[in-house]
Amino acid sequence: MPLPTPLQGIRVVDFTWVRAGPWAARWLGTLGAEVIKVEWPLNLDTLRQNRFTVPPGVEPGPNSTGQFADTNANKRGISVNTRTDEGLELVKRLISVSDVVIENFSSRIMQRWGLGYDQLRKIRPDIIYVSMAGFGHTGRHHWYGTMGPAAQALSGLTHLSGLPGAPPAGWGWSYLDDTGGMYGAISALTALRHRSATGKGQHVDLSQMITGITLTGPAFLDKTVNGRKARREGFPPGNRTVWPGAEVVNNYRGPIAAPHNAYRTDPGGYNDWAVIACLSDDEWHNLVKLMGSPAWADSRFDTIDGRLEHQEEMDEHIEKWTKTMGKYELTEKCQTAGIRAMAVQSSQDRVDNDPQLRHRDMYVPMDHPMLGPWKFQNAPFKMSKSPARIASPPPLIGQHNREVLEDLLGETHEDVLNGYENGVLWPTTMDRYPYIEEALR
Amino acid sequence: MTTPTNGNRPDGVDIGGARPADLNLPGALDGLRVLEICDEKGQFCGKLMADNGADLIKIEPPGGETCRSFGPFMDDVPHRERSLSFWHYNTSKRGITLNLETPQGQEIFKRLAATADIVLESRKPGYLESLGLGYETLSADNPSLIICSLTPYGQTGPWRDYVSSDITQMAGGGQMASSGYDDIDVPNPPPIAPGGGNSWHIGAHYAYIGIMAALYYRFLSGEGQYIDASIHEACALTTEGAIAIYLSTGEVVQRHTGRHAAPDMSPAIQFPTGDGGWLNTTRSGTNLTPARLKLLAEWFDQSGMADDLTDERYQDPAVIAEENDHIVQVMKNFFMNSTLMDSFHGGQQRDFPWGAIRSMDEIVGDDHLIDREFFKEVEHPELGRSFTYPGPAALFNGSPWRISRRAPLIGEHNSEILQGELGLTNSQMLLYAEGGVI
Repeated sequence: MPLPTPLQGIRVVDFTWVRAGPWAARWLGTLGAEVIKVEWPLNLDTLRQNRFTVPPGVEPGPNSTGQFADTNANKRGISVNTRTDEGLELVKRLISVSDVVIENFSSRIMQRWGLGYDQLRKIRPDIIYVSMAGFGHTGRHHWYGTMGPAAQALSGLTHLSGLPGAPPAGWGWSYLDDTGGMYGAISALTALRHRSATGKGQHVDLSQMITGITLTGPAFLDKTVNGRKARREGFPPGNRTVWPGAEVVNNYRGPIAAPHNAYRTDPGGYNDWAVIACLSDDEWHNLVKLMGSPAWADSRFDTIDGRLEHQEEMDEHIEKWTKTMGKYELTEKCQTAGIRAMAVQSSQDRVDNDPQLRHRDMYVPMDHPMLGPWKFQNAPFKMSKSPARIASPPPLIGQHNREVLEDLLGETHEDVLNGYENGVLWPTTMDRYPYIEEALR
Repeated sequence: MTTPTNGNRPDGVDIGGARPADLNLPGALDGLRVLEICDEKGQFCGKLMADNGADLIKIEPPGGETCRSFGPFMDDVPHRERSLSFWHYNTSKRGITLNLETPQGQEIFKRLAATADIVLESRKPGYLESLGLGYETLSADNPSLIICSLTPYGQTGPWRDYVSSDITQMAGGGQMASSGYDDIDVPNPPPIAPGGGNSWHIGAHYAYIGIMAALYYRFLSGEGQYIDASIHEACALTTEGAIAIYLSTGEVVQRHTGRHAAPDMSPAIQFPTGDGGWLNTTRSGTNLTPARLKLLAEWFDQSGMADDLTDERYQDPAVIAEENDHIVQVMKNFFMNSTLMDSFHGGQQRDFPWGAIRSMDEIVGDDHLIDREFFKEVEHPELGRSFTYPGPAALFNGSPWRISRRAPLIGEHNSEILQGELGLTNSQMLLYAEGGVI
């Protein structure tokens, strides 16, 4: 018998879209909650339109993007027009039998629907309502719009990343969509513990942008305690802890250390890089030994101040050595000698070449109705008694209307058919997909 | 343009907010006891639990945890009680010192574990078991105990004993393969590991989620369990679309300056401002319909910077598309004659979802954050001073997330916990201190 899931019996009404919100609900679903995603085909989730992730040979459409698939696994989906009275009524009935409502609209939207927290708790007194607006629902700029890159810019995270004297490199993806999603799940689960202990629900007003500020603590305190200028020479220090020639101050990535950099490896392709970090003199001496104790690695480099002073020269020599081997060979040699090193891994490397992720079942195979055999990302933790699991592919749009409305809410089949005729469950202006016709038979 | 007041859009719609009724209400994790044996890898997960109300006891080796030596330090004077990094990551915790490699230390730890709901640890795989302090032993006395090990690569697999640091985790996890520069900005650019120690944050977020899920399962079943969390796997999950793109098309993303890594080239979205800042307009954040272009033109025109954009011919999508390069140039000129924060607020007030690339110089003191009571004054009684800390990302209106006290000094609560709770005598405390147990 399979082990039970931790969130069994929890039902989540998921109004989220794009990345941060759906990613939050995705993890609740992966932990065993029953997540019901509420959508409307005329306001498609933008991930259903992601142009980069329709596999070749698959007919493009809202059910055919790989990015939506992974972000919305372990959910069921219904299509309801909440702008109609009947649609809104259905959603309210769904909320009345649910534990969590989660959304990442702009801060005014749910209230406009008549689904702000004060209304939600009339429908379900112990409801947990997690809102995930960019600036939150409280504060003078709550109505400002953000997407991941703007949120991480505003949070201070972007400023921490890049080479000195160059534009900010920032983060090459919406890190605060991933992280905002984490905090959406964190908020729901934390509030769930409060409900378990007290019987009470609440509104958790999350700001996606502010999640990033709480990740800049040492830089924040360096400003408020020391008055350190945030814009300064040699900051950010690229992959190093201190840029050559710059003042020796801590730049918020752990201890000051050298070597601490990315180095090219053989055969010199786009992602043929590895990083090495020596956090102590002993680790440095291990590296010197591993490199065959070359003549250049003399006593000038014995101490951290010496290595910082001669950092450019040291890094050039190290890279001559790293270029003689592949990134995985380098990683293994260094690790065998107790040196902190790792290959720079692309997406392809993680999926195909990483023996650790393979051993840990990171990519779980499961068939998807449109994409065929697919892989879904697993939870990054193993729970001994109630494991997370990949239980189902994402919903096709409107796929579960009938089972949710008839089995869960007790609508008659005739009510459901009417909903399709009068534009409550499907736009009257749009053809129905074959799976919808089939479900209605 | 009027500044909207708290809780209202400029159009007057009041949308409330979620301020807690009373900041002194207990946090959501009130009544839970957590033992933490963590360095930089797990301490943020502990902070999240402690700031949310758990009674968290941080167990450090005698002399203090290694990450007390991470700068920056207060007034740039290195000292294990002055690490601002340690201060930030250990708020709301109590602290004791205990040498787990001594029999007496192990005995004390077992007695504490019998009182705990959660143990969070980030030592090398197998270390606690080797001391007789593994899950099997501790759960025998306390079956509802949840233990979470948060380690670089997890407890099993070919890399489980690999050593790591923040940058090596970001290499293996894929953060670096997605972050960096276009050649035009930096010739032959390396992949860049984003700063701030975020691999530890990423691991901590998932460990926290696992622990909370285990708590709910315990609520249902009464049973505790063991959680084996991997920072490498957490990081590998945190590159948004890169994996989905590869699985879908076999394409590997290329790095671009300050914007999404993607299989293709894309327009630049970061623009310098006159005061030396940078504005991020996001890839789809401009979306210039005729109506939106008109908003921009009228705004720019107020300072005589609209060039010809007020011309009626721009009220045609075809002309906007054709003149894109020119329009971008006019925008650039405007930003270079404006300031970072004026460009940002001016754009947002016209519904352009832009972001200023703020540093702490702009974040500390920000009005919106003041409205959310984000800035938290934390007392350091031993210094007779208080300092401003970053507060919660989310306002829980029924169980506030808040910093309850500064990080513990080394062994600050030895007497309170070991004597006050476990009943150790004065002579035991003396012997244990001299014997290197505490």
